[in-house]
Amino acid sequence: MSVMLTKFESKSNRVKGLAFHPTQPLLAASLHNGSVQLWNYRMGVLVDRFEEHEGPVRGVDIHPSRPLLVTGGDDYKIRVWDLRPQSRRCLFTLHGHLDYVRSVQFHHEMPWILSCSDDQTIRIWNSTSRNCIAILTGHSHYVFSARFHPKEDLIVSASMDQTVRVWDISGLRKSTPNSNAAPGTFDTFDNFSTVKYVMEGHDRGVNFAMFHPTLPLIISAADDRQIKIWRMSETKAWEVDACRGHFNNVSCAVFHPKHELIVSCGEDKTVRVWDLAKRTAIQTFRREHDRFWFLAAHPNLNLFAAGHDNGLIVFKLERERPPFALHGDTLYYIRDKYVRSYDLNTGSDIGLLSVRKFGSPYVPPRTLSFNPAERAVLVTVSSDNGLYELASLPTNVVGEVKDSSVDGKRGSGNSAIFVARNRFAVLNKTTQLIEVRDLSNSIVKSIKPPVQTNEIFYGGTASLILSSTASVVLYDIQQQKVIAEVNTPPVKYVVWNADGSLVALLSKHTITIANRNFSQHCLIHETIRIKSGAWDDAGVFIYSTLNHIKYCLAQGDHGVICTLDNPVYLTRVKGKTIHCLDRSARPRTITFDPTEYRFKLALIKNNHEEMLYIIRTSNLIGQSVIAYLQQKGFPEIALHFVEDKKTRFDLAIECGNLEVASEMAKAIDRPECWERLAQQALKQGNHKIVEKAYQQTKKFENLSFLYLITGSTEKLSKMQKIADARGDPMSRFQNALYAGDVLGRINVLKDVGLHPLAYLTAKTNGLDEVASEILEAAGLSESDVDDVPDFGRSTLQLPPVITPTAALNWPSIAAGESFWDKALANGLEGVEVPYTNGDAVGAGAAASAALDEWAREEEIPEEIDEGGWDLDAGGEDAEPIAAEEEEAPAEVADLGAGATPGISETEIWTRNSPFAADHVAAGSFDTAMQLLHRQFGVVNFSLLKPLFLSTYRSSHAYFSPLGTLPPLQLHIRRNPSESSPSRVLPVAVRTLQSIRAELTEGFRALSGSKLPEAQSIYRSVLYELLLVAVSSDKEAKEWRDLVTMAREYLLGVSIELERRRVIAEDPSNAKRNLELAAYFTHCQLQPPHLQIALRSAILIFSKANNNGTAAKFARRLLDLNPDPKIAANARQRIAAGERNPRDAVEVDYDQFTEFEICAATYTPIYKGSSSVRCPYTDAAYLPEFAGKLDALLQLTELGAPASGLPAPR
Amino acid sequence: MESSELYHAKQQFILGAYSSLIDLTLPDPNSPDHNPILLYKARAHIASGSPKWVTELVPADTEDVSLKAVTALARYRQATEDADKDSALEELRDLCVEIEGEDGSTDERQKALVRVIAGTAFVWAGEIEEALETLGAGTSHENLEAVAITVQIYLSINRTDLATKEFNRAKRWAEDDLLLQLIESSIDLVKIGNDAYSNPNSFYNEQLGNPSLTSPHLLTARGVTRLLRGEIPAAKSDFEEALSQKPGDPETFAALTVASSLPGSKRGEGEQFWKYVSPRRIEVFPFVLTCGRLVI
Repeated sequence: MSVMLTKFESKSNRVKGLAFHPTQPLLAASLHNGSVQLWNYRMGVLVDRFEEHEGPVRGVDIHPSRPLLVTGGDDYKIRVWDLRPQSRRCLFTLHGHLDYVRSVQFHHEMPWILSCSDDQTIRIWNSTSRNCIAILTGHSHYVFSARFHPKEDLIVSASMDQTVRVWDISGLRKSTPNSNAAPGTFDTFDNFSTVKYVMEGHDRGVNFAMFHPTLPLIISAADDRQIKIWRMSETKAWEVDACRGHFNNVSCAVFHPKHELIVSCGEDKTVRVWDLAKRTAIQTFRREHDRFWFLAAHPNLNLFAAGHDNGLIVFKLERERPPFALHGDTLYYIRDKYVRSYDLNTGSDIGLLSVRKFGSPYVPPRTLSFNPAERAVLVTVSSDNGLYELASLPTNVVGEVKDSSVDGKRGSGNSAIFVARNRFAVLNKTTQLIEVRDLSNSIVKSIKPPVQTNEIFYGGTASLILSSTASVVLYDIQQQKVIAEVNTPPVKYVVWNADGSLVALLSKHTITIANRNFSQHCLIHETIRIKSGAWDDAGVFIYSTLNHIKYCLAQGDHGVICTLDNPVYLTRVKGKTIHCLDRSARPRTITFDPTEYRFKLALIKNNHEEMLYIIRTSNLIGQSVIAYLQQKGFPEIALHFVEDKKTRFDLAIECGNLEVASEMAKAIDRPECWERLAQQALKQGNHKIVEKAYQQTKKFENLSFLYLITGSTEKLSKMQKIADARGDPMSRFQNALYAGDVLGRINVLKDVGLHPLAYLTAKTNGLDEVASEILEAAGLSESDVDDVPDFGRSTLQLPPVITPTAALNWPSIAAGESFWDKALANGLEGVEVPYTNGDAVGAGAAASAALDEWAREEEIPEEIDEGGWDLDAGGEDAEPIAAEEEEAPAEVADLGAGATPGISETEIWTRNSPFAADHVAAGSFDTAMQLLHRQFGVVNFSLLKPLFLSTYRSSHAYFSPLGTLPPLQLHIRRNPSESSPSRVLPVAVRTLQSIRAELTEGFRALSGSKLPEAQSIYRSVLYELLLVAVSSDKEAKEWRDLVTMAREYLLGVSIELERRRVIAEDPSNAKRNLELAAYFTHCQLQPPHLQIALRSAILIFSKANNNGTAAKFARRLLDLNPDPKIAANARQRIAAGERNPRDAVEVDYDQFTEFEICAATYTPIYKGSSSVRCPYTDAAYLPEFAGKLDALLQLTELGAPASGLPAPR
Repeated sequence: MESSELYHAKQQFILGAYSSLIDLTLPDPNSPDHNPILLYKARAHIASGSPKWVTELVPADTEDVSLKAVTALARYRQATEDADKDSALEELRDLCVEIEGEDGSTDERQKALVRVIAGTAFVWAGEIEEALETLGAGTSHENLEAVAITVQIYLSINRTDLATKEFNRAKRWAEDDLLLQLIESSIDLVKIGNDAYSNPNSFYNEQLGNPSLTSPHLLTARGVTRLLRGEIPAAKSDFEEALSQKPGDPETFAALTVASSLPGSKRGEGEQFWKYVSPRRIEVFPFVLTCGRLVI
């Protein structure tokens, strides 16, 4: 017991009582000034104060399992407090004692509180009923302390009357249920609380007495300067021995909860430690001025607290760091003075060697070094000024474990380690000498270290690491010279990685990571004490502090992995498992998630595949990652994690991703965003985006100039018109000048009354007629201006456009992004994709690039029409602009601190769903369109607009709970009881059921021969199916069936309508008439409808005297088991066909070869010939239609690549 | 403690029973309840869209700051010109500054009301930050109506977290006030993970069962809650009943339109309502506005 490690100290008024929290690092201290403090001794902070007692508070206790605190003070009151952080307050007060309350204690299982007082009584209270349930009388003076037995129904008390008494309260437990029968009448109590033993022996007042946690022993501390140990049996109790040594009153003495030790303190300003068995003093800890008043032992940990005149100290009696060494998968460590081996894989834990006789019995070994070649260990201990012992481990343990004293070789030294297979080094701190010894313990070499060395560590082959006060030295033993020196606070532990290429040097608050020759190193600071560390297989250092497990990368980045309740000592990290030893040297494992540091490591190593893999397989999305990526200069990667529009915009600008930036600018729609976008786009030469941004911010001058330099004359003339509408002559003039429009210029000059200039302009440009008109208008004649010199013909001309760039963007290298864009957009489609929203255009591979271009073109003109060009039409447009401007500030409206708008539910919807329907419901029409384009190749959205609008409309309700305010937008969810934001989805406005009902209506229309109506119903069914989100594979299949069915019906009806049109327009075209009728029968209709098609075909063919084919149709009709009447009719036709199997009209119809019908031309595409398909309905078209809009629905681009319906969630 | 008359007026106001509040006869001008009830009445006029009556109701020469504030709010809501709106807002700002001064003549209740009224106006003006500041969001005041408005502002900007915080703060001192329950239920209308809207559902069910008042607003509220819960037929019956009590109420009509477009309704029914709604009174149908903005 050479150490007494102070962990925490506080300054305060005199501390009279102390109690540890059983699980948290909290300590309650009651003070002489009436205050009760709650300290977090690990962090060293005062957590709370309870100040309701008047006068000194002497007794304090924390409930062993519930968050309760009890205190007792000189105000005769006992108070019970709630300890929970959110509601720390006094719960109730127990009144009854008639004098100072000296001690209080909770019972470990019953709701009892024990108290003793100067009124000579001991009382037991029921904390549930808040009644006094027993009063123990007998002491004839102040009772200073009363404690429950940890297991039995006993109480031990100590009193000023010089006795220690043991009370039996077993009766109390039995009769508790009816004890509330007569509150206030105390006579009944005596029955079950009897004095069992009265122990006399002290010849002064006794201050404290307690039971041993497991043995039948009692300890007492008294003013006679003695600590007495008592033993008790069933029938009697007697004094065993006394510890003498304190030279003033002993105020408190406690048993060590685990070891055979006694700790005591007294008014002689000392804390002493005694051997319980030998009753000898082991150690004395002295303070200069402070008398000690109270001691508390932590119930589970090796921690004590002592209260003195000016505060309290928390200390422990021995180091708890277990010595260990790792070799392969085996951990060698020392627990309870036994060297043990622990197999990390199998978990087998065997004691190999006892080191009980090595060093002081009270001091555990400090370090362990393992030599695998010789299977030997080198153990050091700090007692006796430092000892080492070299002992071999038995290969297999049979029977009793051998003690190291049998064949161990010992010597004195502060630090000892193996440096080679048959050599070890020993440091002697006082002589500053390092001895290298062989296995027979004889000195081979002596080294004088170059610096003041406190500790030595293994430094690689034939090298040592010497730890000095301000540096570490890497020292070569053979050459006896310093290889390198690194400045660091004193290094306490050294951890090498598996291949010996990196080493971590741990100090109290710093970690130095260095390579093997210390040529590169970095330093990490920690505010909390660092306890241990181990290397991960990937080269990441994992370390533990008092309350965290953290990681640090070789270049110095570090972060938290998890928090700890109690410190652990890491031994090895493998994969997701941390192996460690806890404070009682029990092997433990902790599983953790290495994703974060793996990701960072991959980033540093530029390993994109690994990063992608991590992104795919984990949900690594968070502000920290984004900030980290941005800070480390990877904004383009960060972009893929960001959801917030503003940040996304900033990042996109930073990494020059204009596509995303313009998406975001559109979404944010604030002038400064547009401006920044314009600047960035200008830098990259993407003038289309510049144009858009200028249009948004209404920068007319800039726009004009942009058009000039890109040579876009037609837009310049548009600008002229706009300027006209704006009534801004300067702008008109400028635009006219840019556009080389002389007449325009003249008109401007005329309009503003600058007739001379107008005249001259006309004149110099050879427009004499115009010139004379101007003169006329000005009321002058040619003669009036003959004094004007002739300037000659103007040679000024608009520079010709050499390379037309108006339609081209400056090419930029698409490197860097490509990997991420492609990988993320493709690979993550099915996973969580918050970012494809932004860059969907980049989603397709090279093949679809051209298409995207096209799609963009589709979009852009529209936007231009609505956005920038809304001035075109002139006067009436002034209004919308004003409205827009007014609206902007309303939306922008800066929000107060702490009240930035949160993530809208609609945004969550879009994030949660890959279905266009859900995006539409969220109002995110552009992403919905992108999705439809990508999934189904839809390019013409105007037909879907009403559906978009009605879907959006139906997904939100508007309601104001407070009628005085504008209403809130409420979002109607698909599943009202969904509670996770990652699964909320909008209400399904359209369901498969509702659409099927509609389809049935279509059937009815078909049967009723209302063909145009049927056609529009099928078409709208197909439109609506685009906006259905499916939730299961079954639904997805059903969805596909519905699409196919609706397509076939639509095709059939369209063919029949075409036939009727042909007949109406050109009754002589019998061939086409017959063909179409025949094709109709080849649409995949349901039997009743197919019957209609067949009957109509039979009729038409027999009318045209194509009896042979008509008979074939009739046979097909019979296969469908029609009505008897219809069947009879069909048989007639067959008979007619057999009689006359010739066809009068030659038609292009071969029923024996399988064919599909081109939905545009209604001609057959026979099996084997090529066709293009509608990416949505899969309808077939002749190859020449590739790239055209599909004829059936007018929605999709034929032959466009499409990913189809996304997988249901 | 407030008189039962005043309590009743307050309850009607909170639960949106504006029409019965408007019909209420004012107590004697010398009664201490006169001004508070007058205020509720005036605000009911404003809330139900007829701010012009306020000027007739409130004496022009009043010294009471809260009455001045309510007149200003009425002017703001009535104004069509920006300049008029601005001057009304300026007056409210001045009143807010005035009550900050240590002037003994205004009591806490009046100050609180001025803040509430000014906050309301700022919300309408889109000055959310100013509104939050005026209402003392995040500070430890005990002005429950201000809390209610603050909460609704937070909800409108998707900050249910802040709304919940504000509500929890109020819960400590406001005990079980009716308004507090309303706040709680309105948070749950927006929040994700709200136990299937059980809070608003039971709140509005309870209030509908309250015999001392009837309000179509409550019916609409329950209808909206039912709509959110996916009980569409029940929601529609609520809306229809509300419309029968207060024909043409825009809020109800809008909600009915939404409900009619969802599955379970007749085909085209929603479209029909929409056609009726969309060209009309755009300002009262916020959803017409937002849909308009989203036109492709």
